[in-house]
Amino acid sequence: MKKEREPKDDGRYIIFYTFEGEEDESFGEGSTS
Amino acid sequence: MNQLRWDPTLEEWVAYATHRQDRTFLPPAEYCPLDPTKPGGFPTEVPRESYDIVVFENKFPSFAPGAPEPDEGSPLTPAAAGRGICEVVLYSEDHYATLAGMSERRIRNLVEVWADRYAELGSVDFVEYVFIFENKGEAIGVTLHHPHGQIYAYPFVPPRPKRELEAARAYRSQHENRCLHCDLLSQEHEDGRRVVAKGEHFTAFVPFYAHFPYETHVYARRCVPSIARLSGEERWDLARVLKRLLVGYDRLFGFSLPYMMVMHQAPTDGENYEGVAHFHVEFYPPNRTAEKLKYLAGSETGAGAYIVDALPERTAETLREAVEGAAP
Repeated sequence: MKKEREPKDDGRYIIFYTFEGEEDESFGEGSTS
Repeated sequence: MNQLRWDPTLEEWVAYATHRQDRTFLPPAEYCPLDPTKPGGFPTEVPRESYDIVVFENKFPSFAPGAPEPDEGSPLTPAAAGRGICEVVLYSEDHYATLAGMSERRIRNLVEVWADRYAELGSVDFVEYVFIFENKGEAIGVTLHHPHGQIYAYPFVPPRPKRELEAARAYRSQHENRCLHCDLLSQEHEDGRRVVAKGEHFTAFVPFYAHFPYETHVYARRCVPSIARLSGEERWDLARVLKRLLVGYDRLFGFSLPYMMVMHQAPTDGENYEGVAHFHVEFYPPNRTAEKLKYLAGSETGAGAYIVDALPERTAETLREAVEGAAP
């Protein structure tokens, strides 16, 4: 898990979590996509 | 303005956040502030063209780290700064996704993020309780459809978890240090009628005393106080059981079911909650039928006494059929 914390323009923070090398596909019933 | 006011009649804090009146309300999909920012498009909350899972401070927080000291209040009705941290957790960049439709792997990744937020926010000195939750669906009052949850890092232990912890502590002292939640789980396993999904490390069941017809609790089998203390295998299993339950919820009435999802776990106030706090997730869907909602009306709101028009054994059976019918 990669975690990158950055400041936003208005002083708040934002954190990007990335899970490297892990393909992901939505599937199954319940998906509205 | 973030302010707390003490209600001495119920002995609980009420939070005021007047700026929340101005928050974005059900914008059209093309102006969703939780989508990635596309080249040439309007700037959203996420200044990247793509993302996996994102957490950011809520623009309209119910609690804020720098909340000013209030100039209101009296010894009888004190006021305090509404100090806390409110975060938004974006589950996916796909505007139309739902947690139910996500892969087990993505839900497992989300469990990792939730655990990380619990640990980080819980380490802040003024944070006494990290509350992870999701409001889903317009019936619950969501203002943005993009799949997301929230985290409130409270400066106090909120009333409902506090009551639950007090009950668990009292039970422990009266029953040779036994965990209340472990015993409830054992009873549900023994009875079996209200169990809707079982994994290796988690069990989902409609509790004997459900307050909503299709309320479900997802308990860790092991007596573990917080999501941060789950093992890798337990995190996977939580994702699998959540997925099965959520897909079942969506099959129940044939549409994407609205719900409130909340996590109960150990406060982060420095006290010891081993054997008292038992990590679990609670779901409260408002639907009692496909068309009818359960409202928190006079008895529930004014008296605190819930009236439920369906027995948990019956609703659990229906929900279990929906869950099992959805199993691969």
